[in-house]
Amino acid sequence: MTSMLRVAPGPLLLSHLEDGPGYRAHRARFGDLPKLSRNDLVAAAGPVRGRGGAGFPFARKLQAVEHRRSPEIVVNWSEGEPASHKDAALARVRPHLVLDGVELVAKAFGTKIVHLVVPSEREDVTNAVLNAVGERAHPKRYRIHHATDRFVAGQARAVLELMAGRENLPVTAWQPEAYQGFRGRPTLLSNAETWAQLALRVLCPEGRPTTLLTFAGESAAALVVEAELGTRWGSVLPAELPDHEPLLLGGYHGAWTTVGWLRPRPIDHDLLRAAGLPLGAGVVLRVPHTECPVTMTARLMNYLAGQTAKRCGPCFNGLPELARAVSALAAGTDTQPRIRQLRDLVTGRGACAHPDGSARMVASMLARFPDEVAAHVGAQCGALPRAKAGVA
Amino acid sequence: MSAIASARAQRRWDIRVDWPNCYARGLCHELLPEVIDLDEWGYPIVNAAVTADLLADAREAVRTCPTLALRLNKTQM
Repeated sequence: MTSMLRVAPGPLLLSHLEDGPGYRAHRARFGDLPKLSRNDLVAAAGPVRGRGGAGFPFARKLQAVEHRRSPEIVVNWSEGEPASHKDAALARVRPHLVLDGVELVAKAFGTKIVHLVVPSEREDVTNAVLNAVGERAHPKRYRIHHATDRFVAGQARAVLELMAGRENLPVTAWQPEAYQGFRGRPTLLSNAETWAQLALRVLCPEGRPTTLLTFAGESAAALVVEAELGTRWGSVLPAELPDHEPLLLGGYHGAWTTVGWLRPRPIDHDLLRAAGLPLGAGVVLRVPHTECPVTMTARLMNYLAGQTAKRCGPCFNGLPELARAVSALAAGTDTQPRIRQLRDLVTGRGACAHPDGSARMVASMLARFPDEVAAHVGAQCGALPRAKAGVA
Repeated sequence: MSAIASARAQRRWDIRVDWPNCYARGLCHELLPEVIDLDEWGYPIVNAAVTADLLADAREAVRTCPTLALRLNKTQM
């Protein structure tokens, strides 16, 4: 997407950015990698959550492969979510922390070959990863795979399909990847940040666990920041934002909330999930000046409908239908019952979570902004002339 | 009813759909209307778990699906 990307200094992962991404400076800063047993690694991984979107505890994945010989190791660096830039930022400033996490696990589990899946449309990310690999002691142990430029290409099963030489699209997962993944073998597949967070738990265990966030939407340049888990959102949200300002938390598959709701609450995976606001890949998206939440939801939903892999019936029939219904709502027709009906029809009925995430984003808009929706139905919203027309 | 017979009667099975392989032929609904509905595009909606008395029909639906897109698993208790 955009090559304009700012990275703010942070407490741990994004500390000492002045070191640059080189291997020597990295080793001097973080020290040598210890050799850990499998049990040590599981213990160290305790607070690490999957940062690809699902937030699955990484220690559970490690436990699933604990007694298996040389599980396949895959770093998902492809960042299919268009608003997320944290993995691109990692490639630029801290690629060796990701590779450290991989190396720790590979050594403990006896895995010789590691797979890195990079985004083919972001050349700067690919080059940064390749540079970092070239600086490591055993560059030939890394296999590079180029993910397709589409939303669902970063989904775990789609990544495994790509690695197997098939189309980079999701298929049905009958078992978790940790049990049956690449070539039917136990596979540890995680997002780039997850591997870096694991390395941090080993190299800087005294530092409090953090998470990366991408702020996007208000200007051309996205901003990646690192926040300590458990701190209040108020400490990372710009102070000048009014309480009623809408935010899409978690990215295109996220859910709507407001600055005022978020500000006093802690950055906490479980608390957010319980409130129906999964942190996902950590995207905080603002509404551009030209739009309101309703028209922005319509725009995103039209994009998401176009990103269906066209493989699962409820998705390739339901998402375009949902996009039409949301566009009609933005244009002033009350299609709320139809939107809710379509949400129920597409949720849980696909090989991947693309329909689920898209429907959740739309439904959260209806739930969170009934006044804006009413303003559209009553043709009183200022953003109305810009709403997508051409709807039956 | 004996304890064993009642335990048998309480067993449940789940129908799972392999969505990318489903082409909305609708045979599963014909064979197992008690469990499977069709949505507005003709794709299956699995409404309930399969009970012991429906097991034979469910197996028939899995076996005769033209694209082999259904699976039947014992429900994990």
